[in-house]
Amino acid sequence: MNRTLLTALLGASLCATVMAQHSDFAIKSDFEERYRQISGRLDSASTTEEIDSLKGEIGKLESEYAPHQQFLDRALYPLTFGESITKLRSLQVLTYDRVYLIRTQGVKLSEIEARITSLTTRLDSLTSQRDQLFGELQESRKSLSALREAVRRLTANLTAKDRLIFAIVDSIFLPYGKDLSQVADVQKEAIGQRLERSNVLTRVYEIAADNVKFLDATQLQGRDYGNLIEQYEAFNARWAGLKQKMTEVAATGAAVPTESTGKGTAKTPLVRGGAKELRVASETAAAQAGHVDSALAEWHTKLNAGFWGGLLKEFTQAGVIVAPFNDGPSFSASIRQEVASLAASKQDPQPFVDALWKQKIDRDWREGLSRDAMLGHAEYAALDKLVSELTRDTIDTTFIAYIAGILIIIGLIWFFVFRKKKRPGEPASAA
Amino acid sequence: MIRLAKLCFIVAVLMAVTSCSSLRLDGVDFGWPVESVVTVSGTNMIEDIRYSVKAEVAPLAQEEFQDSTALRGARLRLLRSSEGYYFLTGVKFKHVYVFSPGPSSLTLYRAIPVSDGGLRNPALNQRPPYVELLDGDALRTLLTSDDIVEAKK
Repeated sequence: MNRTLLTALLGASLCATVMAQHSDFAIKSDFEERYRQISGRLDSASTTEEIDSLKGEIGKLESEYAPHQQFLDRALYPLTFGESITKLRSLQVLTYDRVYLIRTQGVKLSEIEARITSLTTRLDSLTSQRDQLFGELQESRKSLSALREAVRRLTANLTAKDRLIFAIVDSIFLPYGKDLSQVADVQKEAIGQRLERSNVLTRVYEIAADNVKFLDATQLQGRDYGNLIEQYEAFNARWAGLKQKMTEVAATGAAVPTESTGKGTAKTPLVRGGAKELRVASETAAAQAGHVDSALAEWHTKLNAGFWGGLLKEFTQAGVIVAPFNDGPSFSASIRQEVASLAASKQDPQPFVDALWKQKIDRDWREGLSRDAMLGHAEYAALDKLVSELTRDTIDTTFIAYIAGILIIIGLIWFFVFRKKKRPGEPASAA
Repeated sequence: MIRLAKLCFIVAVLMAVTSCSSLRLDGVDFGWPVESVVTVSGTNMIEDIRYSVKAEVAPLAQEEFQDSTALRGARLRLLRSSEGYYFLTGVKFKHVYVFSPGPSSLTLYRAIPVSDGGLRNPALNQRPPYVELLDGDALRTLLTSDDIVEAKK
């Protein structure tokens, strides 16, 4: 019993001596070295088994240095002991996710890469076709039918490009699901690289700029605007979605600290992998996104100006002078004012209702006007009803005239039939 | 009466001067949690990045080794005690040097002799209110800014 106690005391004393004889600096340096080794092995790990074994190493590191936690909390600057271990565990989880994703979706990712390449090639061929079409548009100004054909083909080209670029974007984001906040930084970095490699932002900008150029170069008809407005709205909505996703991806680069000067700072692969490059890339992306926004704003302005300008021209050409308008509310007010003025005056509303509203506005411009961004379905229907009511009296008179005509014809038929029955010389009755 | 007024004035002035000059923050802990191991550069400079301390050590080399260039390339152990003194030593040192900080200078406060043959593997640990000096497993000493408190071999 005494011997056991003596051994235990000796052991405790030896442990205490060994502990006491340790240099604090050596403890800190050893911890940092072990941390770096595990971090480095995580960085280069290529199998999930390897990463699983490193999870055990992290646990061992934590338990071995737990007795020095109080000291390490102060000595490891700027992170504490607990934060360093948490960071290492997060890195382990992220690396596991990355390796797992590569392993399970390796084939799928390569298929997507191939699809992106193919789509990019098609997009490039559409771009060269677009240049040719712009040339044709310039040449075919003299012939109306040729001009219409050039406009049709160019619109189809721009729509196809629009569809293709967002197909590329969808392909890039597809493997990562809808919620990017759940996607690890390493994966966001991969998305960022794919976006950059596919030159997505430049291409999106090109499409917006092409549309501006198209609107500048073309005299459009009312019926053209329905598609163009729809195309703009769809593009704008898709761009808003892409921008949101890109902001989340770019946040990975922006979150990287400027410098890591702390002696005890544990650096993740992301930090080691070029924080500066990531930040520069995210700043460039932000600048390019700003260009796209500007191009979209210009596209919107030109589309609006062309639409409302063209519509006003229809009124002028028909000899109807209405209050000028440049958007939905002012158009609505202008038409209501004109209807009120026609109703109040003795002027014949027929030319306005039939020749202008029904033959031009309702036939060519209704699709564009019914868009929510322009006038909206409900407001257009309300205006249409209001205009139609202008000619209600005329319709009633015509209706009465028709009825009267029919009655006269019936009367005449009856008269002649009746007269035949009462032909002279025929006995009026059997008596 | 006039004398009394003069006396009151002088007392008031003295109190004002005293109250201005006696602003003092007590209980300051200057201690670094862990020593810094710094390498002496070719120009006899040492620099600690974390605590932003930079000093020329040629006079120290002259004092310890009678050669102002003897410390070039050497690794020195530097630790600031909780009182605010800088403790400095290194391999082959026979002393631990205690410096008090002044305006753009470190002034030698004490040179505490710790080893006759020179330290072989020294390390400084913060053990408030002391500074612990280790020399491998051979020596464990507790120091104050003035002297050795306890030495175990």
